Amino acid sequence: HCPQVHSLQELRRSASLATKVFVQRDYSDGTTCQFQTKFPPELESRIERQLFEETVKTLNGFYAEAEKIGGSSYLEGCLACATAYFIFLCMETHYEKVLKKISKYIQDQNEKIYAPRGLLLTDPLERGMRVIEISIYEDRCSSGSSSSGSSSSSSGGGGGGAGGR
Amino acid sequence: MPAASGKRFKPSKYVPVSAAAIFLVGATTLFFAFTCPGLSLYVSPVIPAYNAVVFLFVLANFSMATFMDPGIFPRAEEDEDKEDDFRAPLYKTVEIKGIQVRMKWCATCRFYRPPRCSHCSVCDNCVEVRSCRGLRRAESPGSTPSPCSPRQEFDHHCPWVNNCIGRRNYRYFFLFLLSLTTHIMGVFGFGLLYVLYQVEELSGVRMAVTMVVMCVAGLFFIPVAGLTGFHVVLVARGRTTNEQVTGKFRGGVNPFTNGCCKNVSRVLCSSPAPRYLGRPKAEQTVLVRPPFLRPEVSDGQITVKIMDNGIQTELKRTKSKGSLEVTESQSADAEPPPPPKPDLSRYTGLRTHLTLATTEDSSLLGKDSPPTPTMYKYRPGYSSSSSSAALPHSTSAKLSRVNSLKEPNSICESGQKPSYRSEPSLEPESFRSPTFGKSFHFDPLSSGSRSSSLKSAQGTGFETGHLQSIRSEGTTSTSYKSLVNQTRNGSLSYDSLLTPSDSPDFESVQAGPEPEPPVGYTSPFLSARIAQQRETDLHGRFASAASPKHAAPREPSPVRYDNLSRHIVASIQEREKLLQQPPAPGREEDVGLADSGIQSTPGSSNAPRTSSSSDDSKRSPLGKNPLTRPALPRFGKPEPPPALRVRSLGSPDQPAAPHLGKSVSYSSQKTASQAGGPETEEVALQPLLAPKDEVQMRTAYSKSNGQPKSLGSAPAGAGPMPLSSPTRGGVKKVSGVGGTTYEISV
Repeated sequence: HCPQVHSLQELRRSASLATKVFVQRDYSDGTTCQFQTKFPPELESRIERQLFEETVKTLNGFYAEAEKIGGSSYLEGCLACATAYFIFLCMETHYEKVLKKISKYIQDQNEKIYAPRGLLLTDPLERGMRVIEISIYEDRCSSGSSSSGSSSSSSGGGGGGAGGR
Repeated sequence: MPAASGKRFKPSKYVPVSAAAIFLVGATTLFFAFTCPGLSLYVSPVIPAYNAVVFLFVLANFSMATFMDPGIFPRAEEDEDKEDDFRAPLYKTVEIKGIQVRMKWCATCRFYRPPRCSHCSVCDNCVEVRSCRGLRRAESPGSTPSPCSPRQEFDHHCPWVNNCIGRRNYRYFFLFLLSLTTHIMGVFGFGLLYVLYQVEELSGVRMAVTMVVMCVAGLFFIPVAGLTGFHVVLVARGRTTNEQVTGKFRGGVNPFTNGCCKNVSRVLCSSPAPRYLGRPKAEQTVLVRPPFLRPEVSDGQITVKIMDNGIQTELKRTKSKGSLEVTESQSADAEPPPPPKPDLSRYTGLRTHLTLATTEDSSLLGKDSPPTPTMYKYRPGYSSSSSSAALPHSTSAKLSRVNSLKEPNSICESGQKPSYRSEPSLEPESFRSPTFGKSFHFDPLSSGSRSSSLKSAQGTGFETGHLQSIRSEGTTSTSYKSLVNQTRNGSLSYDSLLTPSDSPDFESVQAGPEPEPPVGYTSPFLSARIAQQRETDLHGRFASAASPKHAAPREPSPVRYDNLSRHIVASIQEREKLLQQPPAPGREEDVGLADSGIQSTPGSSNAPRTSSSSDDSKRSPLGKNPLTRPALPRFGKPEPPPALRVRSLGSPDQPAAPHLGKSVSYSSQKTASQAGGPETEEVALQPLLAPKDEVQMRTAYSKSNGQPKSLGSAPAGAGPMPLSSPTRGGVKKVSGVGGTTYEISV
């Protein structure tokens, strides 16, 4: 459920979700999964541009790799056909493997870069690969005006929020 | 029935799939039971084996096509579109490989449907025919609104498998068709063989059954083969059934095609895409706990919050181009020195200011406000204690500007307002390379160009990018709006700058308050002597500061302001040429006007009024482009002294701080190349307009693309700024947009 909420409640100085930024897809190259590397203005004061761009570019690279049509994906398809697709019960597809890598990468980025800055990335997979959701947190203690904006919806990872639990 | 739930059990929808299954399995079973034994005995045992394999293949693909999620999108959560819901235009265009594609807003799903995505009307996910068109859903009588489930790359809804065919299961559907065609042909062929060769007695049961099976096969062969052929063509063309049937690409221009071979391989050989629904939700294990890090200013992203009407006092000067110049000349000295201590928060505020200022300069303010805003924005410390800053500013503005370059500290300390709290300029210094700090000083104080150069030094790109992003469609409307608002503020503040009085307006200048630096910061109202002294101080400081700060990581973004500043730079160059005595030729290029800048300071204070106007005009364009740092140096001072200021802007960059230098050099390059710009006021005007147009253009372009490509392209030239404004070793005078002169100690 929401470890965040737990921790938030526990801390004296807690962070509340202020707003979310959505990085949209970049369709300039067709329907391949790519995200815009344009820097959202809301993040101006929160994170360095390079870090953000690097994150998005890495993610784009991962998605390109997942959708790559090459020898491995062809073999995988042949094998699946040969086994009447029973192979999918046992084996992970190439795409799924890359998605796992992406998820790990996002978590890693969150831990190292984004969370210390009061931001959280949400895996685009949860949003149907349409957007990268970045939740912006405010320090509740220091900024009185920070509103727990999203409230109920909370960030993707937050789940149902406090109330939900 | 309204009371019924969304998912009613409708037996009718299962009829086709049941029929298909029955025919398929039944006929094949009969074939195996009655025909194959004879065939295997008398012809070859391979025949049943082959048919078995094909049949297995058919079944597998049929099952996958039936049961696999076609690629349904999860609905957007509420917060994703909270802004869009009421203001969202129904369509949003994106450019895909040069072709405009429309994305429709689905109010039910609360997002713009990605290209090739559609709702299935039959799958009972959306009561409405053809979809969750949002508004129409409610009108459907007797239907309970159900969540829309748009499918990716929606092909069609196939009744024979009772499922939508979309991105994920299209491959299986296609293979199902192919294999089914093969299977039917096999069954029919071997049945025919059996009959013709009279493997067994003709009138037997087996013969009869075989004949029946052949008839069924023959009957189904025609539509199945037809459909298979149709889909072969679709795959080759890279279209979906939906697109083909609705005639979307009748004109022949399909942005989703990659060529026949690639299309085929994409369908058959790509890795199966993941499903979105039904995934276990990842638990958020990362804790977000304050205190939070904030990006350093050194990145060049001085996101000065526009709210902060930073350089109030100084901004007063630049109300209009003309007045700006006047004010500039005098205000250069009058600029309040930035607060002695860079305040991180304030700095942040300033940065926003700057960013906004830049944006506004380039796009919104274009004509209205004097080009100086950028410079003003940059001014640190303005944000908070504008009032305090105001007073001293007026007096020390000009000089302080010049000095600011040297040192934020000095600026901050400018005489009167030690308490001046907002000191973004100071901040930069601490965070960024010396260059940055220096530039920071300059910008807010002296001229827009200064600020732009500062920004550029810092990696204005950040700001510019910010601006650009704001402009481009990609940014949320909110951001754009805020930008606009800020711009307005900026312009206002800028206006206030024009008034050479210490009115509070001055403080409203966004550039950021520029507290008078204790040292070297001169306001136009100060005597020349003081100004001189300040410059000296600044010089010293600047020099010292310069070296260490070198390394600050700066956001390289020459590209950004390049675009905008081109005109400004050109104008500035013109001005410079006109106004100041031609400095060493190298200087022109390099902005080596630093030294001259110094002189100008005092001069500027003396006759700032007149000269500054011209300066201002020139500077305004510069100001608009924070990136246009180089332009600053070029910015010819209205009179010889002011001109120096401009130059200094450029020069310090070079030697003093790599960052600064970069931007400066960049600008100087530009200016050099564009030296032919119009003169004086006109120059200022034009650049002002130009960037705005550029911005608008860019905005439009980026809008369609979702990716600010255009932005990048413009500044392309700027790139590497080898501009070399040789550091004069002393103080470089850079005249900012507002006619203020910055002294950048190199």
